[in-house]
Amino acid sequence: MEELILELKKEIIKVLNLEDMTPEDIDSQAPLFGAGGLGLDSIDVLELIVLLEKHYGIRLANAAEGKKIFTNMENIARYVSENRKR
Amino acid sequence: MATILADNIISPLGSTTQANCQAIRSGKTALRHFSSGTDIRVPFPFTAALFSEEQKRAFAIDGYTPFESLAITSIRETLTTCQIPMDQRTCLLISSTKHEGPLAAQRIAQAVGIITIPIIVCNACISGVSALILADRLIEMQRYDYVIVCGLDLQTTFIMSGFHSLKALSPNECRPFDLERTGLNLGEAAATVILGKKPKKGAWYILASAVRNDAYHSSSPSPKGEGCRMAIEAVMSPAEQPALINAHGTATLYNDQMEARAISQSGLSRIPVNALKGYFGHTMGAAGILETIITMHSLDNQTIIGTRGFEELGVSGNINIIRDNTPTDKTSFLKIISGFGGCNAAIHIAKKLPPLKSKDNENKDRQILHRIVITPKKVQIDNETIDTKGQEGKDLLTHLYKTRINDYPRFYKMDALARLGFVATELLLQKEKETQGQQEHPQRAVIFCNESSSVNADRTFLATISSPENFFPSPSAFVYTLPNIANAEVAIRNQYHGETAFYILPHQDENIMQMLAEATMQDPFNKDLISGWLECKDEDHFQATLTLTTTH
Repeated sequence: MEELILELKKEIIKVLNLEDMTPEDIDSQAPLFGAGGLGLDSIDVLELIVLLEKHYGIRLANAAEGKKIFTNMENIARYVSENRKR
Repeated sequence: MATILADNIISPLGSTTQANCQAIRSGKTALRHFSSGTDIRVPFPFTAALFSEEQKRAFAIDGYTPFESLAITSIRETLTTCQIPMDQRTCLLISSTKHEGPLAAQRIAQAVGIITIPIIVCNACISGVSALILADRLIEMQRYDYVIVCGLDLQTTFIMSGFHSLKALSPNECRPFDLERTGLNLGEAAATVILGKKPKKGAWYILASAVRNDAYHSSSPSPKGEGCRMAIEAVMSPAEQPALINAHGTATLYNDQMEARAISQSGLSRIPVNALKGYFGHTMGAAGILETIITMHSLDNQTIIGTRGFEELGVSGNINIIRDNTPTDKTSFLKIISGFGGCNAAIHIAKKLPPLKSKDNENKDRQILHRIVITPKKVQIDNETIDTKGQEGKDLLTHLYKTRINDYPRFYKMDALARLGFVATELLLQKEKETQGQQEHPQRAVIFCNESSSVNADRTFLATISSPENFFPSPSAFVYTLPNIANAEVAIRNQYHGETAFYILPHQDENIMQMLAEATMQDPFNKDLISGWLECKDEDHFQATLTLTTTH
């Protein structure tokens, strides 16, 4: 799981252009949205949906479904490991 | 004040205004369900309003692209009912979100006999109304006697993929303001109007107009509908009784909710509201013009067109959506529209001459406060050249951000055009702060022009849909394929609610840019203005020449 979390952190930094951030800067349990987290927005949710489809073959229908999963890094990793198609 | 002299609509429902009006009055729709068999190559079924092959052949003109042919045919059709002199006093505005560039605009202009330089209004979904507003002001300023405004867009794999990536498309026919709405349908159309300065018996007039920015988000409307409300309030008081408000009503969850909120907050809850996307889909650059024409003609026939697709109210806020065709004897209406980049427009159109405007604004003293030029190798603010430590091109912008700004990580999410606009504006504002001190400027407008539109962002997005095996359209890349997102980034950063607009010109024409700046200042809400040339061919080839102008 730690390995998957690290992989996801690297991918997220890349696709969301979180320049100047390293995987160590992202707390695996910290919220990704809203104040105190990474401050991601609605377009970032959609971009993460593309990421899950492209890398893991997971298709999410809409942003609301995405927002339930993209709460923190641990939750994303858990969801990916349970649902990945590749 | 401008008089609307003539109009034309070419849509899948017909190639004259009359044919379109008749079709929708009898409840017909141009929307069809497609799973294959179109030029649009996407791996999902969709519902859209597309021209048939036969219709495309009908407007095709030898030697011109389908886009050019459609515009030329619509403009020529309009000119058959209204002869105007084709001289220095007549100009052409093309309104389109995915246009074919200024050369195509010039070819269209020449084909219909226009001898002045055409301007493309590329202001996301509000382009059509933006262009009507600009035309009205250019006539009011006595710069032109006649302005032809042609709005159009054709649908492509590019656009369909982008809206799909934003999860904005409904697979079925759209349902504006309805509880069951799930998104929009895209549509193809051209819509043209000719505006003139002289009043004409029985004609419609533009009484008031406004463009305001939410300063909230590049692709989501303000949940409070703030910009939309401000635009409405600028053109209409709660005491007025127009026949209806023709809403944008795209049938996305957020747009319709936002509009409902803005309408009820403006004190216009009792006014009937309709939306026409259930007949034509979202025709993008044509939408604002097409929907204005339909509304004028339906009121000429004493009818408010019903909102096709609407059954049960699915928005909070107290608004009066009209489901079925309804008689009316009123002869004025409000058209509202909102789009990516947080822009919102409202226009009040009526069958009566407006009261004479006070000329206060024209006498105001305008002053250029600061000027910045950024090229890949040079940065100059006022007359001072900045030491760029040998940084060039893309690296120069990052260098400027890191050494002089560095408190807005969103910079890294922006495309090259928006980065350029952001950095240039930040440096301009730092200069302002040095001389004027820290101040809020909620009424500041941001107007950019260039010749390459969003060409660099277009390439980035195309790379994400390059083949069926590698089809992962990027929503963030798609958003930047609208050049006016560069304006939005500046408005959001600085909380500017003034007008935002992007215009495409064949070259950096100072006279036209000056004219566009003056046109913006016709709205007294726009107290000051950041404007100029913002060109980006690719990440290493760009030029920003921006000024900060204030009124006293």
